[in-house]
Amino acid sequence: MTFSSSYLLSITTFIYLGAAALYLIHWVFRVEKVGLLATFVTLAGLICQTAGIGMRWVESYQLGYGHAPLSNLYESLVFFAWVTVLVYLIIEYKTKKRVIGAFATPFATLAMAYASFSPDVQDTIQPLIPALQSNWLIAHVITCFLGYASFAVACGMGIMYLVRGSGEGKGLLSSLPSHKVLDELMHQTIVFGFLWLSVGIITGAVWANQAWGTYWSWDPKETWSLITWFVYATALHARFVRGWQGKRIALLSIIGFISVIFTYFGVNFLLSGLHSYGSS
Amino acid sequence: MKNTKNSSGSNPVWQFFTSVRLAIFLLIILAITSIIGTIIPQGESMQFYLDKYGPDMFKVIKALKLDDTYHSWWYLTLLGLFSVNLIVCTLNRLPFTIKLFKRDYINVTADYLRRVTFRREWRISGDRPELKEKILKIFKKIAGSYRHKKLENGDDVFMVESGKWSYWGLYGLHISILIIFAGAVFGSVTGFKGRLMLLEGETSDHAVASSDPSKKIPLGFSIRCDRFFVDFYDTGAPKEFRSDLTVIENGKEVMKKSILVNDPLTYKGVTFYQSSYQSIPEVSVQVTDPSGASRTLVIPAFQRVSWPEAGITMGLMKFLPNVHGVPAVSLWIGDSTGRADSIWLFKGGPKEIMAGGKTFKLNLLDASERYMTGLQVKKDPGVWIVWLGCTALILGFAIVFWVGHRRTWLYLGQDGKDMVVLLGGQTNKNRLKFEQDFEAVAQAIDEVTGEGR
Repeated sequence: MTFSSSYLLSITTFIYLGAAALYLIHWVFRVEKVGLLATFVTLAGLICQTAGIGMRWVESYQLGYGHAPLSNLYESLVFFAWVTVLVYLIIEYKTKKRVIGAFATPFATLAMAYASFSPDVQDTIQPLIPALQSNWLIAHVITCFLGYASFAVACGMGIMYLVRGSGEGKGLLSSLPSHKVLDELMHQTIVFGFLWLSVGIITGAVWANQAWGTYWSWDPKETWSLITWFVYATALHARFVRGWQGKRIALLSIIGFISVIFTYFGVNFLLSGLHSYGSS
Repeated sequence: MKNTKNSSGSNPVWQFFTSVRLAIFLLIILAITSIIGTIIPQGESMQFYLDKYGPDMFKVIKALKLDDTYHSWWYLTLLGLFSVNLIVCTLNRLPFTIKLFKRDYINVTADYLRRVTFRREWRISGDRPELKEKILKIFKKIAGSYRHKKLENGDDVFMVESGKWSYWGLYGLHISILIIFAGAVFGSVTGFKGRLMLLEGETSDHAVASSDPSKKIPLGFSIRCDRFFVDFYDTGAPKEFRSDLTVIENGKEVMKKSILVNDPLTYKGVTFYQSSYQSIPEVSVQVTDPSGASRTLVIPAFQRVSWPEAGITMGLMKFLPNVHGVPAVSLWIGDSTGRADSIWLFKGGPKEIMAGGKTFKLNLLDASERYMTGLQVKKDPGVWIVWLGCTALILGFAIVFWVGHRRTWLYLGQDGKDMVVLLGGQTNKNRLKFEQDFEAVAQAIDEVTGEGR
């Protein structure tokens, strides 16, 4: 393999795998230094991946296509991993709770591994078909994936909440952040994701109106993004008004992310519709 | 929205709609039922559903309109209930919000300030006006411009307040959903959605309704397709679809534009989008009758062309642009008695055929393609209302979650021989940031009172 964007992005996969392992070791054996190392490795992965994405952008110009690397399944998976790591690192920086890394970085690793090694995913740079030739592509994809990545991290926190149990003993699970902290963090992350999902749906509507003449056509992808929106709207209202906390919100966070996954992959592979170019 | 205790009476219908339990129930039901229309293909013919799902499921699909789920009576009812719930919840909460908004938060007592979330207290012996002056200066410098109130007992309260208006963000957020619905309804009532197929060079003054192909929608002007281009990448993927359009009104060309997939043309509120294309063959055939008389017939697609004197009619059935290097056509041949036959013709290969008892010689002179552009035609005066609603949604959301009503009080009073300084703070959002700002003021007061050293 020559030195190319694909090469850098494959390396990134292994760096993230290493980071996830280090976060896990940090959590299980509670070695503070390993946690610090995990942060540095994750940061190195992010830098390597940023370079890879940048290079891919340049390569697309060299091929004469010239578009942002956000146009097919491979590129969107890579971008999803990139935003997930970014969102996680911001949360780590703000909360100083590295344990979350053990539950957040695996999402990025899985996305990268799927993008790099699955035979279903083509990593060649393809030209943009007419429907995608719009500046709204960048705005739409970035906002949607900010939402998706936040929901991935919130899902990780939901899993942490459920596995933690309420025990205050000295076991492995009790070294996770307390229920109260997890609940608050999960809520904040969902709020952040919900805002970006809303903006993502709206930019999609503006774009659809410009390209197809309808801002909403009940295409399966659109409908599933709305379903996801309903799930998180339920979580927010239940918390505010009915005082739902903890376990139920953790469950909704996981259900919500399943809906995200279906919006992202399920619709492409199982249902047909206007967004089918995302599947190859 | 929060269920307030002062709900209007005990009308059970009102009670039902004010309950946020209903809102949550509706959100969950909408999420689940919305799945149906993504699994069952929408907008197909009845025969399609009968074949695919069998007679039993077909009955369910037909009764519940699952071929057009999102416009079915029950789905629209759910959306209607959702809207009513939203309006009633909003109205129900309104008095509570008005009370919060109208309240003057400067009316506090020393006791109240000893109970608020963020609080500090200093006691300094003696009456020291110059120190008061200093503290006040610092308060203004760090916390901002304040309002002042002199209490009956001679003590002073100073307050810095911000973001009181944020109580209305919740209304912006929820009303935005209703605005979007209103825009969608207004657009569908006053606008239209149609299609238009135009051959290169063709002009039309109407579109065809998307919902009912037999319905013509007059445009109020004419539109002509001058040319259509399609371009491909080396990979074979399409690169560009382009139609050169001209708008003609009262016999004058008033506008010209080349439209692309992401770049439509709008004239007088009607927008034309590039949506598809077809290539239409056009064939010219030289026909020679037994007497030796000959004529060239030009046969466009979908039309029959006759040579009545000779008693022959022809129509185009199939066109292949390249068969071993030459174009080929399959023609339908009818005679005057109504009998019909068909024949394949290749360019440069004349053939003979019997029609009405006579032998004709046919020679394919030319077979070429003309493009026909497929346009989506839309008028939607409600779209701006929808965008307004979307903007309100995002702004409202940002306000609800990130703008707080922040209050910082400074109380300067006298308790017997002691001077009492109270600092109180309250916010309904982002406590962390508020706490930092509050601490900054408290520390500065520590320094002037000497406690910081």
